[in-house]
Amino acid sequence: MKNIYRSIGENIERFGARERVKGEALYCADMEIENALFLKILRSRRAHARIVTIEMEKALDISGVVKIFTSDDIPGINLMGIINKDHPLLAVDKVRSATDPVALVAAKTEEAADRAIDAIDVVYKDLPAVFDPEEAMETTAPKIHEKGNILLTRRIVKGDTETAFQSCSSIIEKRYETGMIEHNYLEPDAGAGFVDDDGTLVIYASTQNPHYDQMEVTNLLGVENDKVRIIQAATGGGFGSKLDLTVQGFIGLALYHLKQPVKMVFSREETYIGTAKRHPLKITMKTGTDARGRLTAMKTTIINDTGAYGSYGIAVTSRSAVHATGPYEIEHVDIQSHCIYTNKPFCGAMRGFGTPQIAFAHESQMDLHAEELGLDPLDIRVRNAFSTGSVTATGQTLETSVGIGDCLKAVKPYYSDAVKTWMNTPCEPYQLRGVGIGAMWYGIGNTGTKNPSNARVEIDSKGRITLFTGAAEVGQGSSTILSQIAAESLNMDADRIRMIVGDTAQTPNAGATSASRQTYISGKAVQQAAQKLSNALKNSAADQLGVDVSLLVLDSEYVQSTQSPDTRISFASIVRKISSKNSPLSFDGYFDPDTTSLDAATGQGIPYATYAFACQVALVVADALTGEVTVEKIIAAHDVGKAIHPENVIGQICGGVAMGVGFALMEEFEPGKTISMKDYHIPTFADMPEVESIIIEAKEPSGPFGAKGVGEPALIPTAPAILNGLAHAFGRRIYTLPANLERVLETSIQAGKFGPQ
Amino acid sequence: MDLSYYRPDSLEAALDFLHEYGNHTCILAGGTDVMLDLRSGEVKKKYLMDITRIEDLKDIAMTDKKLSIGTLVTISELYGSDLIAAHAPALQQCSLTFASKQVRNAATIGGNVAHCSPCGDTIPPLLIHEARVVLASKRGSREIPVEEIAAGPYASAFAPDEMIVRFLLKPAGDMDLSTFKKIGRRKALSISRISMAAMVKKDRDSRIDFVRFSLGACTPTPRRFEEIEALMEGEKATEQLLWETGRILTDQMFKITGRRSSAIYKEPAIQGLFFRLFSPLV
Repeated sequence: MKNIYRSIGENIERFGARERVKGEALYCADMEIENALFLKILRSRRAHARIVTIEMEKALDISGVVKIFTSDDIPGINLMGIINKDHPLLAVDKVRSATDPVALVAAKTEEAADRAIDAIDVVYKDLPAVFDPEEAMETTAPKIHEKGNILLTRRIVKGDTETAFQSCSSIIEKRYETGMIEHNYLEPDAGAGFVDDDGTLVIYASTQNPHYDQMEVTNLLGVENDKVRIIQAATGGGFGSKLDLTVQGFIGLALYHLKQPVKMVFSREETYIGTAKRHPLKITMKTGTDARGRLTAMKTTIINDTGAYGSYGIAVTSRSAVHATGPYEIEHVDIQSHCIYTNKPFCGAMRGFGTPQIAFAHESQMDLHAEELGLDPLDIRVRNAFSTGSVTATGQTLETSVGIGDCLKAVKPYYSDAVKTWMNTPCEPYQLRGVGIGAMWYGIGNTGTKNPSNARVEIDSKGRITLFTGAAEVGQGSSTILSQIAAESLNMDADRIRMIVGDTAQTPNAGATSASRQTYISGKAVQQAAQKLSNALKNSAADQLGVDVSLLVLDSEYVQSTQSPDTRISFASIVRKISSKNSPLSFDGYFDPDTTSLDAATGQGIPYATYAFACQVALVVADALTGEVTVEKIIAAHDVGKAIHPENVIGQICGGVAMGVGFALMEEFEPGKTISMKDYHIPTFADMPEVESIIIEAKEPSGPFGAKGVGEPALIPTAPAILNGLAHAFGRRIYTLPANLERVLETSIQAGKFGPQ
Repeated sequence: MDLSYYRPDSLEAALDFLHEYGNHTCILAGGTDVMLDLRSGEVKKKYLMDITRIEDLKDIAMTDKKLSIGTLVTISELYGSDLIAAHAPALQQCSLTFASKQVRNAATIGGNVAHCSPCGDTIPPLLIHEARVVLASKRGSREIPVEEIAAGPYASAFAPDEMIVRFLLKPAGDMDLSTFKKIGRRKALSISRISMAAMVKKDRDSRIDFVRFSLGACTPTPRRFEEIEALMEGEKATEQLLWETGRILTDQMFKITGRRSSAIYKEPAIQGLFFRLFSPLV
């Protein structure tokens, strides 16, 4: 099919690809700033304790140590958190986890800073600690925060679940558990800063949300917004972890007091202990179907362990609840999702916000129902899948872009062939094959809250176009995508558009690079700004050319007549005519998707304006003698609305599959035990399956050129598909992630597959 | 910590240096373990002696009916060598799954053995070849069996003025099975949870005539299990024999180590891997 667009759907060269290949991208760790002081954090090493005293004399005597900060030095409000503010930059009176920052050292060398950290003597009085979220919910549990340990309970109630269960033919109730996960982005957290001539604190950071960083740092320091400038440096991945402040607050604090350049670079070990993790979930899920396998009722309780601080815990708690049904219509729903404080290191955002965890549960349930009813696993999903007009658990009617049916249809030939042919090809003795399906839905953007994006497009007197966006490019490709959207709206080449990205002094706030929202939301804001520019250029050209505006089009930086292409005028000429002082013309774009907040009692509402859908099929081989698992192939069908850059979509899918393989089979962060990449295993290339990517485009009318998002959806179906594949192989199911060597071998033994038959 | 770097060009110079400063010297061969230990502060020596330029220690040859492997032969070179393929196939197999390509290109067989990790992948294959280690010092050279290199996990048993110069292996000859297998948490770059190497020759009646078996990553140092070999010799390789012998192996292993928390997995997994290792004979 011929592409009707000039830029959309084309695999143009990625923005910034060349500088990265040549090693020219400037990451914070590589910044050389003259006379920069090094900053190091002293962390508590106590799970829950009162701080009695902090003795700093010995540390201050160390040559090269300039200053040691404690919470007393914070001039503003010492509480951070994008949703709820409960997270001190430096501990006040007590610590709530073993990784809480207690003091910050600024020193002339890294070595001096390290020695000072060792020389600070903190006297603690230990408090009773609680690590299990269910214990933390009990009234007798030690109180971690003043208001108690239950941060939020999200309820979603629709219909009459209890009555509905009474007439179900198949009822399955199971408990699922998932582990704590480390994001493991390639670039450890880092930042650098200096004080500008006019007194502005300039902070370079590896971040996913520069404009939020700015607000948070100004809160901490009690200064005006324009006194802090955040510039996003080249960022080597984030996956949600770089949505929290990592180094920014510390750099701001040091700049505020010392007015001297500073630098802060985490070691891999510090990124492990000092940043958010994926929430471990405990899920009890009960679902019921009629005799034909149609889901009618669901009752689910979810416990989201957020550790010592909220971070994005409330978002994870709401999202896991909203997505608990999976991409299936269920009339009667009763979901409770609790966000619980424990004395573990804090958990925050990670690719999918609870959806990868809950998908493991709902997809296991689907297979269990299919088994009980003697239905094909793919058929039962087709029977229940959302379609246009379906009503979700929150009472939202899905009116457009419901691509789950197409995703299921797309994988069907692969699935059937795998079951018929691949399953019957010979294996090594005592190896078992299994085919599993995982489906998912994912709401694009923040859950039931405003989440606008702003964009600005400028044209200067030479006709050059610049796009300003606060949308952090963290490797996912948003800058490329946004340039394509602007280029398409102006019918010009994307590489002719200058991009200014993630600098609070220059760019408008585009919101966080999270929730798979930048293509859909920022893309729409960019489209609107570019469209305004396009209209302005046409209107002006109409006067100058004497041609009716309806007969004018943009083409390669000219406005020309559709009747005679020779009647044309360049962008530059137009601007020179209409801009009096040769100053650039500027056009703003804004988009905030239509959502409503969820009702506090029933959870009813419109949490997202649109949803991405996907289905993946996993072909797995398990060794019944050793518990080793090989994922041979993943077939991944993803409804992205419209693929702005198809290769980038495939890149996201492959990356998501890799992360999904890790989540399914090997990744687990154990606080106090896991130290570095030596003991935290992520998949290598050798562990990667072949990935067959299928792009489905169920256009979303409110999105730019029909686009939605794919960043997080890419990961979500993988683990459920692999786990269902393992259950198919063994005839026995694993309910706890990861399905590591130990759990798979135990399953093999219990299934009677271990050893000579 | 100040660490001085020294790079001798000859074995003689290296041994002179060790004679003088052996107690304070860490030897750098491939560096794939040493660099990590340096960063973590585990190496507390004054000198780092880089032996990578000593050409004499990089050869693989058949001499006196022994397969001789220089200490600086890299894991990638082991994999690429026709002599290794012909005379020590289990060692070749281990060098295919060892760490990752980048590590294999740098890591050396001598470094892998001298590091004395219980999980060193080259050690089980060396054990089944009854490898002897040639140690050199200014005082002269001597040979010891490879099992005597380590006094325990990460603790070498040879003198500070000595270094490993080569390994001498009994060539495999004509075998019915020559194999190495390991279990890791992922398919590359993982430390072996269990590793095994074996060689088997059957007689005309299909009975096991000759067997060598070694186990890595389970005991404080990898070791050959002669008791297990004895149980198999003269027997037909049936599934039942393999399954039962694997069971006995786990018992013997726990006698050495005691039952730790990892036993829940290792107990069946050792039996399972043992079965898989020998199952081509059935």
